[in-house]
Amino acid sequence: MLLEARGIVKMFGSFRAVDGADLTLAENELIGLIGPNGAGKSTFFNCLAGEARPTQGTIRFRGEDVTSLSSAAHTRLGLARTFQVPVVFEGMSVRENVMVGAFLRHPARRRAEEKADEVLEFTGLAAQAEMRATALGTAGRKRLGIARALATEPILLLLDEALAGLTSVEMEGAIALVERIHARGITIVVVEHIMEVIHRLSRRVLVFNQGRVIAEGAPADVTRDPAVIEAYLGRRAQGRPKSRGESHAP
Amino acid sequence: MRFSLRRALIAIALLLAIAPVLTQDAFYQRIAALVVLAAISASAWNVIGGYAGQVSFGHSVYFGIGGYAALLAFTKLGLPPIAGAPLGILASFVLSAIVGLPSFRLRGHYFSMATIAIAALAELLVTNWGYVGGAIGLMGPATPRSPADLLFRSPLPYYAIFLVVLAALLILTWRMERSRMGFYLRAIGSGEPAAESLGVPVRRYKLYALFISGAFTALAGSLYAVMIGFIDPDSGFGILVSVNMVVMAALGGAGTLFGPLVGAIILVPLEETTNAMLGGGGTGAAYVAYGVIIMLIARFSPGGLAQFVPRIAARKTERAA
Repeated sequence: MLLEARGIVKMFGSFRAVDGADLTLAENELIGLIGPNGAGKSTFFNCLAGEARPTQGTIRFRGEDVTSLSSAAHTRLGLARTFQVPVVFEGMSVRENVMVGAFLRHPARRRAEEKADEVLEFTGLAAQAEMRATALGTAGRKRLGIARALATEPILLLLDEALAGLTSVEMEGAIALVERIHARGITIVVVEHIMEVIHRLSRRVLVFNQGRVIAEGAPADVTRDPAVIEAYLGRRAQGRPKSRGESHAP
Repeated sequence: MRFSLRRALIAIALLLAIAPVLTQDAFYQRIAALVVLAAISASAWNVIGGYAGQVSFGHSVYFGIGGYAALLAFTKLGLPPIAGAPLGILASFVLSAIVGLPSFRLRGHYFSMATIAIAALAELLVTNWGYVGGAIGLMGPATPRSPADLLFRSPLPYYAIFLVVLAALLILTWRMERSRMGFYLRAIGSGEPAAESLGVPVRRYKLYALFISGAFTALAGSLYAVMIGFIDPDSGFGILVSVNMVVMAALGGAGTLFGPLVGAIILVPLEETTNAMLGGGGTGAAYVAYGVIIMLIARFSPGGLAQFVPRIAARKTERAA
Protein backbone atom coordinates (compact mmCIF):
# COMPACT_ATOMS: atom_id res chain seq x y z
CA MET A 1 0.00 0.00 0.00
CA LEU A 2 1.27 3.46 -0.89
CA LEU A 3 -1.06 5.36 1.39
CA GLU A 4 -3.34 4.18 4.11
CA ALA A 5 -5.68 6.50 6.01
CA ARG A 6 -7.70 4.89 8.81
CA GLY A 7 -10.61 6.33 10.74
CA ILE A 8 -9.84 9.96 9.97
CA VAL A 9 -11.87 12.41 12.03
CA LYS A 10 -11.41 16.15 11.80
CA MET A 11 -13.39 18.38 14.12
CA PHE A 12 -13.75 22.14 13.97
CA GLY A 13 -15.10 22.91 17.42
CA SER A 14 -17.94 20.44 17.78
CA PHE A 15 -18.49 20.15 14.03
CA ARG A 16 -17.25 16.92 12.50
CA ALA A 17 -16.03 18.00 9.08
CA VAL A 18 -14.61 14.54 8.47
CA ASP A 19 -16.26 11.78 10.41
CA GLY A 20 -14.35 8.53 10.19
CA ALA A 21 -13.09 8.36 6.61
CA ASP A 22 -10.82 5.59 5.28
CA LEU A 23 -8.71 5.49 2.15
CA THR A 24 -6.18 3.04 0.83
CA LEU A 25 -4.19 3.79 -2.27
CA ALA A 26 -2.10 1.40 -4.30
CA GLU A 27 0.95 2.43 -6.28
CA ASN A 28 0.11 4.27 -9.52
CA GLU A 29 -3.61 4.57 -8.91
CA LEU A 30 -5.59 7.59 -10.02
CA ILE A 31 -8.57 8.09 -7.78
CA GLY A 32 -11.18 10.80 -7.42
CA LEU A 33 -12.63 12.31 -4.28
CA ILE A 34 -16.04 13.71 -5.03
CA GLY A 35 -19.02 14.97 -3.12
CA PRO A 36 -21.19 18.06 -2.81
CA ASN A 37 -19.74 21.28 -1.43
CA GLY A 38 -19.19 21.05 2.28
CA ALA A 39 -19.02 17.25 2.22
CA GLY A 40 -15.63 17.28 3.91
CA LYS A 41 -13.57 16.12 0.96
CA SER A 42 -11.32 19.15 1.00
CA THR A 43 -10.77 18.81 4.72
CA PHE A 44 -9.95 15.15 4.29
CA PHE A 45 -7.62 16.11 1.46
CA ASN A 46 -5.91 18.66 3.73
CA CYS A 47 -5.41 15.94 6.32
CA LEU A 48 -3.73 13.77 3.70
CA ALA A 49 -1.47 16.65 2.64
CA GLY A 50 -0.44 17.47 6.20
CA GLU A 51 -2.10 20.86 6.01
CA ALA A 52 -4.56 19.91 8.75
CA ARG A 53 -3.93 17.49 11.57
CA PRO A 54 -6.67 14.89 12.02
CA THR A 55 -8.42 14.91 15.38
CA GLN A 56 -8.46 11.11 15.26
CA GLY A 57 -7.10 8.41 13.02
CA THR A 58 -3.77 7.61 11.44
CA ILE A 59 -2.27 8.14 8.00
CA ARG A 60 0.59 5.99 6.80
CA PHE A 61 2.56 6.82 3.68
CA ARG A 62 4.80 4.00 2.44
CA GLY A 63 4.56 2.41 5.84
CA GLU A 64 5.58 5.53 7.72
CA ASP A 65 3.21 7.27 10.11
CA VAL A 66 2.81 10.78 8.71
CA THR A 67 -0.34 11.75 10.62
CA SER A 68 1.21 14.63 12.54
CA LEU A 69 3.97 15.67 10.16
CA SER A 70 4.00 19.16 8.64
CA SER A 71 3.04 19.71 5.04
CA ALA A 72 6.69 20.46 4.22
CA ALA A 73 7.65 17.08 5.65
CA HIS A 74 4.97 15.42 3.53
CA THR A 75 6.43 16.99 0.43
CA ARG A 76 9.92 15.88 1.41
CA LEU A 77 8.63 12.31 1.70
CA GLY A 78 7.17 12.53 -1.79
CA LEU A 79 3.58 13.56 -1.13
CA ALA A 80 2.93 16.87 -2.89
CA ARG A 81 -0.23 18.88 -3.37
CA THR A 82 -1.74 21.72 -5.35
CA PHE A 83 -4.21 24.32 -4.13
CA GLN A 84 -7.75 24.99 -5.22
CA VAL A 85 -6.94 28.70 -5.43
CA PRO A 86 -3.34 28.68 -6.66
CA VAL A 87 -1.05 31.16 -4.96
CA VAL A 88 1.74 32.20 -7.29
CA PHE A 89 4.91 33.69 -5.87
CA GLU A 90 4.73 37.35 -6.83
CA GLY A 91 7.75 39.08 -8.17
CA MET A 92 9.06 35.82 -9.59
CA SER A 93 8.97 34.53 -13.12
CA VAL A 94 7.15 31.34 -13.99
CA ARG A 95 10.49 29.50 -14.09
CA GLU A 96 11.53 30.87 -10.70
CA ASN A 97 8.22 29.72 -9.23
CA VAL A 98 8.93 26.19 -10.40
CA MET A 99 12.52 26.45 -9.16
CA VAL A 100 11.22 26.89 -5.61
CA GLY A 101 9.83 23.39 -5.90
CA ALA A 102 12.89 22.05 -7.71
CA PHE A 103 15.25 23.27 -4.98
CA LEU A 104 13.84 20.59 -2.68
CA ARG A 105 15.79 17.82 -4.41
CA HIS A 106 18.39 19.98 -6.14
CA PRO A 107 20.01 22.48 -3.77
CA ALA A 108 22.38 23.82 -6.44
CA ARG A 109 20.88 26.63 -8.48
CA ARG A 110 22.01 25.29 -11.83
CA ARG A 111 20.45 21.87 -11.26
CA ALA A 112 17.25 23.41 -9.92
CA GLU A 113 17.04 25.49 -13.08
CA GLU A 114 17.47 22.44 -15.27
CA LYS A 115 14.82 20.56 -13.33
CA ALA A 116 12.46 23.52 -13.59
CA ASP A 117 12.96 23.74 -17.35
CA GLU A 118 12.27 20.05 -17.73
CA VAL A 119 9.03 20.38 -15.76
CA LEU A 120 8.02 23.51 -17.69
CA GLU A 121 8.52 21.60 -20.91
CA PHE A 122 6.48 18.66 -19.62
CA THR A 123 3.61 20.83 -18.40
CA GLY A 124 3.54 22.97 -21.52
CA LEU A 125 4.62 26.17 -19.80
CA ALA A 126 8.03 26.47 -21.46
CA ALA A 127 6.91 29.38 -23.63
CA GLN A 128 5.86 31.35 -20.55
CA ALA A 129 8.99 30.57 -18.51
CA GLU A 130 10.26 34.15 -18.48
CA MET A 131 6.87 35.68 -17.84
CA ARG A 132 5.97 37.10 -14.48
CA ALA A 133 3.87 34.46 -12.75
CA THR A 134 1.25 37.04 -11.80
CA ALA A 135 0.60 37.64 -15.50
CA LEU A 136 -0.86 34.14 -15.90
CA GLY A 137 -4.61 33.58 -16.03
CA THR A 138 -6.54 31.00 -14.01
CA ALA A 139 -5.67 28.08 -16.27
CA GLY A 140 -2.00 29.08 -16.38
CA ARG A 141 -1.86 29.50 -12.63
CA LYS A 142 -3.37 26.08 -12.02
CA ARG A 143 -0.89 24.62 -14.45
CA LEU A 144 1.92 26.44 -12.66
CA GLY A 145 0.66 25.03 -9.37
CA ILE A 146 0.92 21.54 -10.81
CA ALA A 147 4.35 22.27 -12.30
CA ARG A 148 5.68 23.50 -8.98
CA ALA A 149 4.41 20.42 -7.20
CA LEU A 150 5.89 18.17 -9.91
CA ALA A 151 9.25 19.86 -9.49
CA THR A 152 9.41 18.42 -5.97
CA GLU A 153 9.43 14.97 -7.66
CA PRO A 154 6.45 13.50 -5.84
CA ILE A 155 5.43 9.87 -5.65
CA LEU A 156 1.88 10.84 -4.83
CA LEU A 157 0.29 14.01 -6.14
CA LEU A 158 -2.82 15.48 -4.55
CA LEU A 159 -4.72 17.73 -6.95
CA ASP A 160 -7.25 20.04 -5.30
CA GLU A 161 -9.84 21.03 -7.90
CA ALA A 162 -7.16 21.47 -10.51
CA LEU A 163 -9.81 21.65 -13.22
CA ALA A 164 -12.51 23.78 -11.64
CA GLY A 165 -13.08 27.16 -13.22
CA LEU A 166 -11.52 26.26 -16.56
CA THR A 167 -13.09 26.66 -19.99
CA SER A 168 -13.81 23.41 -21.85
CA VAL A 169 -10.74 23.83 -24.04
CA GLU A 170 -8.52 24.50 -21.02
CA MET A 171 -10.10 21.55 -19.27
CA GLU A 172 -9.18 19.21 -22.11
CA GLY A 173 -5.60 20.38 -21.79
CA ALA A 174 -5.63 19.91 -18.04
CA ILE A 175 -7.11 16.41 -18.30
CA ALA A 176 -4.42 15.48 -20.81
CA LEU A 177 -1.77 16.82 -18.44
CA VAL A 178 -3.10 14.82 -15.50
CA GLU A 179 -3.08 11.71 -17.69
CA ARG A 180 0.50 12.36 -18.74
CA ILE A 181 1.56 12.78 -15.13
CA HIS A 182 -0.17 9.52 -14.28
CA ALA A 183 1.57 7.83 -17.19
CA ARG A 184 4.87 8.79 -15.60
CA GLY A 185 4.04 6.47 -12.74
CA ILE A 186 2.90 9.10 -10.28
CA THR A 187 -0.06 8.18 -8.11
CA ILE A 188 -2.77 10.83 -8.17
CA VAL A 189 -5.69 11.82 -5.98
CA VAL A 190 -8.03 14.31 -7.61
CA VAL A 191 -10.60 16.28 -5.67
CA GLU A 192 -13.29 17.42 -8.02
CA HIS A 193 -16.92 18.17 -8.09
CA ILE A 194 -17.26 18.01 -11.83
CA MET A 195 -18.56 14.47 -12.36
CA GLU A 196 -17.59 14.36 -16.01
CA VAL A 197 -13.94 14.95 -15.22
CA ILE A 198 -13.91 12.17 -12.66
CA HIS A 199 -15.63 9.83 -15.07
CA ARG A 200 -12.93 10.33 -17.61
CA LEU A 201 -9.93 10.37 -15.34
CA SER A 202 -10.30 7.78 -12.66
CA ARG A 203 -11.24 4.15 -12.35
CA ARG A 204 -12.11 4.47 -8.69
CA VAL A 205 -13.89 7.23 -6.83
CA LEU A 206 -14.74 7.91 -3.24
CA VAL A 207 -17.94 9.83 -2.64
CA PHE A 208 -18.06 12.04 0.41
CA ASN A 209 -21.15 13.30 2.14
CA GLN A 210 -21.38 14.88 5.57
CA GLY A 211 -17.86 13.88 6.43
CA ARG A 212 -18.24 10.22 5.55
CA VAL A 213 -17.42 8.08 2.56
CA ILE A 214 -20.88 7.01 1.39
CA ALA A 215 -19.80 5.12 -1.71
CA GLU A 216 -16.69 3.81 -3.35
CA GLY A 217 -16.07 2.14 -6.66
CA ALA A 218 -16.02 2.67 -10.41
CA PRO A 219 -17.43 6.06 -11.44
CA ALA A 220 -20.23 4.50 -13.47
CA ASP A 221 -21.38 2.30 -10.58
CA VAL A 222 -21.07 5.01 -8.02
CA THR A 223 -23.24 7.43 -9.97
CA ARG A 224 -26.02 4.84 -10.01
CA ASP A 225 -25.84 4.42 -6.25
CA PRO A 226 -29.09 5.78 -4.79
CA ALA A 227 -27.28 7.19 -1.75
CA VAL A 228 -25.00 9.14 -4.04
CA ILE A 229 -27.82 10.38 -6.20
CA GLU A 230 -29.66 11.59 -3.17
CA ALA A 231 -26.69 13.16 -1.49
CA TYR A 232 -24.92 14.62 -4.43
CA LEU A 233 -27.01 14.94 -7.52
CA GLY A 234 -30.29 15.19 -5.70
CA ARG A 235 -29.08 18.07 -3.71
CA ARG A 236 -27.93 20.06 -6.67
CA ALA A 237 -31.10 19.33 -8.62
CA GLN A 238 -33.13 20.88 -5.83
CA GLY A 239 -31.15 24.01 -6.45
CA ARG A 240 -30.08 24.55 -2.91
CA PRO A 241 -27.66 27.40 -2.37
CA LYS A 242 -24.08 26.27 -2.29
CA SER A 243 -22.70 25.65 1.14
CA ARG A 244 -19.75 27.83 1.96
CA GLY A 245 -18.28 25.52 4.53
CA GLU A 246 -15.87 23.82 2.22
CA SER A 247 -13.86 26.70 0.90
CA HIS A 248 -13.38 27.90 4.45
CA ALA A 249 -11.95 24.66 5.72
CA PRO A 250 -8.24 25.21 6.32
CA MET B 1 14.82 47.61 -18.55
CA ARG B 2 15.85 45.63 -15.56
CA PHE B 3 19.42 45.55 -16.74
CA SER B 4 19.81 49.27 -17.27
CA LEU B 5 18.26 49.83 -13.86
CA ARG B 6 20.78 47.54 -12.33
CA ARG B 7 23.59 49.33 -14.08
CA ALA B 8 22.28 52.65 -12.84
CA LEU B 9 22.31 51.29 -9.32
CA ILE B 10 25.85 50.04 -9.65
CA ALA B 11 26.84 53.47 -10.93
CA ILE B 12 25.24 54.98 -7.84
CA ALA B 13 27.22 52.59 -5.67
CA LEU B 14 30.48 53.52 -7.35
CA LEU B 15 29.70 57.18 -7.07
CA LEU B 16 29.02 56.58 -3.42
CA ALA B 17 32.45 55.05 -3.00
CA ILE B 18 34.23 58.20 -4.06
CA ALA B 19 31.61 60.81 -3.16
CA PRO B 20 32.95 62.16 0.15
CA VAL B 21 36.48 62.51 -1.17
CA LEU B 22 35.11 65.00 -3.67
CA THR B 23 34.17 67.47 -0.97
CA GLN B 24 36.32 69.01 1.75
CA ASP B 25 33.26 70.02 3.72
CA ALA B 26 33.01 67.87 6.87
CA PHE B 27 29.25 68.45 6.98
CA TYR B 28 28.72 66.63 3.72
CA GLN B 29 31.30 63.99 4.57
CA ARG B 30 29.41 63.27 7.76
CA ILE B 31 26.16 62.98 5.86
CA ALA B 32 27.83 60.56 3.47
CA ALA B 33 29.00 58.41 6.38
CA LEU B 34 25.51 58.44 7.89
CA VAL B 35 24.00 57.48 4.53
CA VAL B 36 26.16 54.37 4.39
CA LEU B 37 25.45 53.54 8.02
CA ALA B 38 21.71 53.86 7.44
CA ALA B 39 22.08 51.74 4.31
CA ILE B 40 23.67 48.98 6.41
CA SER B 41 20.80 48.75 8.85
CA ALA B 42 18.14 49.17 6.13
CA SER B 43 19.81 46.46 4.01
CA ALA B 44 20.01 44.22 7.07
CA TRP B 45 16.32 44.81 7.74
CA ASN B 46 15.67 44.01 4.09
CA VAL B 47 16.77 40.38 4.50
CA ILE B 48 13.88 39.52 6.79
CA GLY B 49 11.53 42.44 6.07
CA GLY B 50 12.01 42.63 2.32
CA TYR B 51 12.98 39.23 0.97
CA ALA B 52 11.12 37.12 3.52
CA GLY B 53 8.27 39.62 3.76
CA GLN B 54 8.21 39.62 7.56
CA VAL B 55 7.76 43.31 8.18
CA SER B 56 9.50 44.01 11.47
CA PHE B 57 8.97 47.34 13.17
CA GLY B 58 11.15 46.23 16.05
CA HIS B 59 14.62 46.15 14.53
CA SER B 60 15.64 48.99 16.81
CA VAL B 61 16.08 46.26 19.43
CA TYR B 62 19.02 44.87 17.46
CA PHE B 63 20.38 48.33 16.73
CA GLY B 64 20.14 49.25 20.42
CA ILE B 65 21.77 46.02 21.55
CA GLY B 66 24.69 46.65 19.22
CA GLY B 67 25.04 50.26 20.31
CA TYR B 68 24.83 49.44 23.99
CA ALA B 69 27.20 46.49 23.65
CA ALA B 70 29.84 48.82 22.18
CA LEU B 71 29.58 51.46 24.85
CA LEU B 72 29.18 48.95 27.68
CA ALA B 73 32.42 47.31 26.56
CA PHE B 74 34.00 50.71 27.01
CA THR B 75 32.37 51.90 30.24
CA LYS B 76 32.32 48.57 32.09
CA LEU B 77 35.36 46.77 30.74
CA GLY B 78 37.52 49.61 29.55
CA LEU B 79 37.75 48.04 26.09
CA PRO B 80 37.64 49.96 22.83
CA PRO B 81 33.95 50.35 21.90
CA ILE B 82 34.30 48.34 18.71
CA ALA B 83 35.26 45.33 20.86
CA GLY B 84 31.64 45.30 22.00
CA ALA B 85 30.42 44.67 18.46
CA PRO B 86 30.97 40.87 18.54
CA LEU B 87 29.15 40.76 21.88
CA GLY B 88 26.29 42.70 20.35
CA ILE B 89 26.14 40.27 17.44
CA LEU B 90 26.19 37.35 19.85
CA ALA B 91 23.36 38.91 21.83
CA SER B 92 21.43 39.44 18.60
CA PHE B 93 21.63 35.71 17.87
CA VAL B 94 20.29 34.88 21.31
CA LEU B 95 17.49 37.39 20.89
CA SER B 96 16.60 36.07 17.42
CA ALA B 97 16.33 32.55 18.77
CA ILE B 98 14.19 33.58 21.74
CA VAL B 99 11.95 36.05 19.95
CA GLY B 100 11.87 34.54 16.47
CA LEU B 101 10.35 31.19 17.25
CA PRO B 102 7.21 32.40 19.00
CA SER B 103 6.67 35.55 16.89
CA PHE B 104 7.01 33.65 13.61
CA ARG B 105 3.81 31.87 14.49
CA LEU B 106 2.17 35.20 13.75
CA ARG B 107 1.58 36.33 10.22
CA GLY B 108 1.29 39.66 8.48
CA HIS B 109 0.20 42.57 10.61
CA TYR B 110 0.18 40.50 13.76
CA PHE B 111 3.87 39.79 13.36
CA SER B 112 4.55 43.50 12.82
CA MET B 113 2.55 44.39 15.92
CA ALA B 114 4.43 41.86 18.02
CA THR B 115 7.76 43.35 16.90
CA ILE B 116 6.59 46.85 17.86
CA ALA B 117 5.63 45.55 21.28
CA ILE B 118 9.00 43.87 21.77
CA ALA B 119 10.87 47.04 20.81
CA ALA B 120 8.73 49.20 23.07
CA LEU B 121 9.33 46.78 25.92
CA ALA B 122 13.09 46.82 25.32
CA GLU B 123 13.16 50.63 25.32
CA LEU B 124 11.25 50.70 28.62
CA LEU B 125 13.55 48.15 30.21
CA VAL B 126 16.71 49.99 29.21
CA THR B 127 15.30 53.35 30.30
CA ASN B 128 14.69 51.96 33.77
CA TRP B 129 17.88 49.99 34.12
CA GLY B 130 20.41 52.07 36.01
CA TYR B 131 23.36 49.78 35.29
CA VAL B 132 23.24 50.60 31.57
CA GLY B 133 22.80 54.30 32.16
CA GLY B 134 19.01 54.44 32.47
CA ALA B 135 17.36 57.33 30.67
CA ILE B 136 20.68 59.19 30.39
CA GLY B 137 22.45 56.60 28.28
CA LEU B 138 26.13 55.86 27.82
CA MET B 139 29.11 57.87 26.61
CA GLY B 140 32.06 56.64 24.60
CA PRO B 141 35.69 57.67 25.14
CA ALA B 142 36.20 61.45 24.98
CA THR B 143 39.77 61.24 23.70
CA PRO B 144 41.35 58.31 21.89
CA ARG B 145 43.42 56.10 24.20
CA SER B 146 44.62 54.02 21.28
CA PRO B 147 43.84 53.77 17.55
CA ALA B 148 41.51 50.90 18.43
CA ASP B 149 39.10 53.40 19.94
CA LEU B 150 38.35 54.46 16.37
CA LEU B 151 38.02 58.08 17.34
CA PHE B 152 38.57 60.28 14.31
CA ARG B 153 38.06 63.94 13.74
CA SER B 154 37.22 63.51 10.08
CA PRO B 155 34.13 61.54 9.05
CA LEU B 156 36.10 59.93 6.23
CA PRO B 157 37.59 56.98 8.16
CA TYR B 158 34.09 56.12 9.41
CA TYR B 159 32.82 56.38 5.91
CA ALA B 160 35.44 53.90 4.73
CA ILE B 161 34.70 51.42 7.55
CA PHE B 162 30.95 51.62 6.97
CA LEU B 163 31.43 51.14 3.26
CA VAL B 164 33.37 47.92 3.80
CA VAL B 165 30.62 46.55 6.05
CA LEU B 166 27.93 47.60 3.59
CA ALA B 167 29.79 45.97 0.73
CA ALA B 168 30.14 42.75 2.73
CA LEU B 169 26.42 42.77 3.53
CA LEU B 170 25.39 43.48 -0.05
CA ILE B 171 27.64 40.75 -1.42
CA LEU B 172 26.20 38.31 1.10
CA THR B 173 22.67 39.41 0.17
CA TRP B 174 23.45 39.12 -3.53
CA ARG B 175 24.72 35.58 -3.11
CA MET B 176 21.72 34.72 -0.97
CA GLU B 177 19.36 36.19 -3.54
CA ARG B 178 20.67 33.84 -6.21
CA SER B 179 20.75 30.76 -4.00
CA ARG B 180 18.11 28.41 -2.69
CA MET B 181 17.74 30.54 0.43
CA GLY B 182 16.83 33.62 -1.59
CA PHE B 183 14.17 31.70 -3.50
CA TYR B 184 12.82 30.20 -0.30
CA LEU B 185 12.63 33.56 1.45
CA ARG B 186 10.83 35.19 -1.46
CA ALA B 187 8.44 32.25 -1.63
CA ILE B 188 7.76 32.56 2.10
CA GLY B 189 7.19 36.27 1.65
CA SER B 190 4.51 35.81 -0.97
CA GLY B 191 2.67 32.78 0.39
CA GLU B 192 3.60 30.69 3.38
CA PRO B 193 1.23 27.75 2.85
CA ALA B 194 2.28 27.50 -0.80
CA ALA B 195 5.97 27.62 0.15
CA GLU B 196 5.44 25.02 2.84
CA SER B 197 3.62 22.77 0.39
CA LEU B 198 6.76 22.74 -1.76
CA GLY B 199 8.83 21.42 1.12
CA VAL B 200 10.19 24.75 2.34
CA PRO B 201 10.94 24.54 6.09
CA VAL B 202 9.31 27.93 6.59
CA ARG B 203 10.15 28.68 10.21
CA ARG B 204 13.73 27.50 9.89
CA TYR B 205 14.40 29.78 6.93
CA LYS B 206 12.72 32.71 8.61
CA LEU B 207 15.00 32.13 11.55
CA TYR B 208 18.09 32.03 9.32
CA ALA B 209 16.99 35.32 7.77
CA LEU B 210 16.42 36.84 11.19
CA PHE B 211 19.89 35.75 12.34
CA ILE B 212 21.55 37.50 9.40
CA SER B 213 19.31 40.51 9.61
CA GLY B 214 19.65 40.92 13.38
CA ALA B 215 23.42 40.44 13.39
CA PHE B 216 24.05 43.14 10.78
CA THR B 217 21.59 45.50 12.43
CA ALA B 218 23.43 45.01 15.73
CA LEU B 219 26.70 45.69 13.96
CA ALA B 220 25.22 48.88 12.52
CA GLY B 221 24.24 49.87 16.07
CA SER B 222 27.79 49.29 17.30
CA LEU B 223 29.23 51.33 14.43
CA TYR B 224 26.78 54.12 15.16
CA ALA B 225 27.85 54.19 18.83
CA VAL B 226 31.52 54.13 17.85
CA MET B 227 31.11 57.12 15.55
CA ILE B 228 28.69 59.20 17.62
CA GLY B 229 30.22 58.24 20.98
CA PHE B 230 26.88 58.30 22.71
CA ILE B 231 23.76 56.17 22.94
CA ASP B 232 20.56 56.51 24.94
CA PRO B 233 17.28 54.58 24.96
CA ASP B 234 15.78 56.81 22.28
CA SER B 235 18.67 56.78 19.79
CA GLY B 236 19.20 53.04 20.33
CA PHE B 237 15.79 51.51 20.92
CA GLY B 238 13.36 54.25 19.81
CA ILE B 239 10.59 53.36 17.39
CA LEU B 240 11.94 55.88 14.88
CA VAL B 241 15.12 53.84 14.56
CA SER B 242 12.97 50.96 13.32
CA VAL B 243 10.78 53.18 11.17
CA ASN B 244 13.86 54.62 9.47
CA MET B 245 14.94 51.17 8.32
CA VAL B 246 11.47 50.27 7.08
CA VAL B 247 10.91 53.54 5.22
CA MET B 248 14.32 53.50 3.55
CA ALA B 249 13.90 49.94 2.35
CA ALA B 250 10.32 50.55 1.26
CA LEU B 251 11.19 53.74 -0.62
CA GLY B 252 14.07 52.22 -2.54
CA GLY B 253 12.40 48.85 -2.97
CA ALA B 254 12.03 46.23 -0.26
CA GLY B 255 13.26 42.82 -1.32
CA THR B 256 15.69 44.25 -3.88
CA LEU B 257 19.44 44.30 -3.45
CA PHE B 258 20.05 48.04 -3.79
CA GLY B 259 16.64 49.31 -2.69
CA PRO B 260 17.59 50.13 0.90
CA LEU B 261 20.76 51.89 -0.25
CA VAL B 262 18.79 54.06 -2.66
CA GLY B 263 16.32 54.83 0.10
CA ALA B 264 19.15 55.84 2.43
CA ILE B 265 20.72 58.06 -0.23
CA ILE B 266 17.46 59.95 -0.56
CA LEU B 267 16.28 60.07 3.03
CA VAL B 268 19.38 60.63 5.16
CA PRO B 269 20.42 63.87 3.42
CA LEU B 270 16.80 65.00 3.67
CA GLU B 271 16.76 64.40 7.40
CA GLU B 272 20.18 65.89 8.03
CA THR B 273 19.61 69.03 6.01
CA THR B 274 16.22 69.74 7.55
CA ASN B 275 17.79 69.22 10.96
CA ALA B 276 20.59 71.63 10.10
CA MET B 277 18.27 74.18 8.55
CA LEU B 278 15.59 74.13 11.17
CA GLY B 279 17.77 73.40 14.18
CA GLY B 280 16.70 71.34 17.17
CA GLY B 281 13.11 72.47 16.87
CA GLY B 282 12.93 71.06 13.36
CA THR B 283 13.81 67.48 14.26
CA GLY B 284 10.27 66.43 13.47
CA ALA B 285 10.25 67.93 9.98
CA ALA B 286 11.93 64.96 8.37
CA TYR B 287 9.33 62.67 9.87
CA VAL B 288 6.53 64.71 8.39
CA ALA B 289 8.22 64.07 5.05
CA TYR B 290 8.51 60.37 5.97
CA GLY B 291 4.78 60.23 6.59
CA VAL B 292 4.11 61.75 3.18
CA ILE B 293 6.57 59.33 1.57
CA ILE B 294 4.94 56.31 3.23
CA MET B 295 1.56 57.40 1.91
CA LEU B 296 2.91 58.00 -1.59
CA ILE B 297 4.63 54.59 -1.69
CA ALA B 298 1.53 52.84 -0.41
CA ARG B 299 -0.68 54.59 -2.95
CA PHE B 300 1.44 54.62 -6.08
CA SER B 301 4.23 52.08 -5.85
CA PRO B 302 4.13 49.44 -3.11
CA GLY B 303 7.33 47.99 -4.59
CA GLY B 304 9.23 51.24 -4.03
CA LEU B 305 11.36 53.05 -6.59
CA ALA B 306 12.81 49.75 -7.77
CA GLN B 307 9.39 49.00 -9.21
CA PHE B 308 8.39 52.56 -10.01
CA VAL B 309 11.36 53.52 -12.18
CA PRO B 310 11.14 50.59 -14.64
CA ARG B 311 7.39 51.11 -14.84
CA ILE B 312 7.78 54.73 -15.87
CA ALA B 313 10.49 53.74 -18.31
CA ALA B 314 8.23 51.06 -19.79
CA ARG B 315 5.45 53.60 -20.18
CA LYS B 316 7.81 55.91 -22.05
CA THR B 317 8.93 53.24 -24.48
CA GLU B 318 5.29 52.28 -24.99
CA ARG B 319 4.49 55.83 -25.93
CA ALA B 320 7.47 56.05 -28.20
CA ALA B 321 6.41 52.89 -30.01
